[in-house]
Amino acid sequence: MTDRRLRVAVVALSTIGAGIAAYLTYAHVTGSPLACATGGCEIVQHSRYSELGGMPVAALGLVGYVALGTTAAFRSDLVRAAGAAFALAGFAVGAYLIYVQVALIDALCQWCLTSDAVLTLLVPVTLLRLRSTA
Amino acid sequence: MSRKRVLAVVVGAAVLLGGGLIAALVLTTRGSNGSPSTAPTGVAEVAAMLRNVPQHGAMLGSPKAPVTLVEFADPQCPYCGDWERASLPTIVSKYVRPGKVRIVFNGMSFVGPDSETALRTALAAGEQNRLWNVVALLYLNQGTENTGWVTDSLLRGIGKAIPGLDTKKMFASLHSATVTQKLAAAAALAQEAGVNQTPTFAVGPTNKALTLVQINSLEPSGIEPALDAALRE
Repeated sequence: MTDRRLRVAVVALSTIGAGIAAYLTYAHVTGSPLACATGGCEIVQHSRYSELGGMPVAALGLVGYVALGTTAAFRSDLVRAAGAAFALAGFAVGAYLIYVQVALIDALCQWCLTSDAVLTLLVPVTLLRLRSTA
Repeated sequence: MSRKRVLAVVVGAAVLLGGGLIAALVLTTRGSNGSPSTAPTGVAEVAAMLRNVPQHGAMLGSPKAPVTLVEFADPQCPYCGDWERASLPTIVSKYVRPGKVRIVFNGMSFVGPDSETALRTALAAGEQNRLWNVVALLYLNQGTENTGWVTDSLLRGIGKAIPGLDTKKMFASLHSATVTQKLAAAAALAQEAGVNQTPTFAVGPTNKALTLVQINSLEPSGIEPALDAALRE
């Protein structure tokens, strides 16, 4: 796959992830209810695991997705490597947060799970960018 | 740089970044006293029962509801717990949610020190209109009287499980003058009403004199006749 297609994929996935993270951040900050089919979104959203140092975890996710999306604008090896590192780190944090939802909070948030799915897709895409040609 | 080295750098950076974030999450979600908060049971049930039902301090339901039910209860009293578990969900869905009845929680702390700790937490949460969430979760996680079951860890867990509740703010208000004053006012009202056991209920048309009701069952059928009669007035 060419780097151009991979960059489009990174931008598309990052935009979806950033949209979810922005929605969760907005709901967290304003306390507004979340559209939720799994029934546990608000429990997860207001649990003690939803903040890190007073900042919503969703806001950190938003920063991460914006950073990931930005890497698609560059072709240098360093930026591609940074993109892959961001995606892998996000995937690891997402996996930990799934563990938290299942084992510690006993509630599932569909938005968080969708975000985790997006991160899972971003890992191979960003790794492929490491070996693709411009 | 060779591909292998690039991959090693990427993985190393990811481990540092991801591991750092996970470590920070693990460390910051522990209680300030070093012990993690206890996850309470019944979080989903309570959230569902109270979702979109207005709360104003100790009042649950519309302030304009034609009938007022005052519940005199101690968070440690087992019968109060039985009533909350057996009847409150039905009373909320049948009378409170449709705007017919509003319930006012008048907390009492005659059982022991755990009662006061629990009540202070509920009243502090009431300042954020979440008193009923705290009370309902306390009853669903009720321990044996005066065994020290109202721990900081349980209260922290309850606080964190309630949507929209600022736990830090709640803990900061526990021993405020306002909470102490509300605690005293609730005790004075119970004494004035002649309440000598819990749970005791007073029912009547809103803004008129309420009548103490002796319930013969902790099931919804125990209080429903009094509510229906007040609604007919």
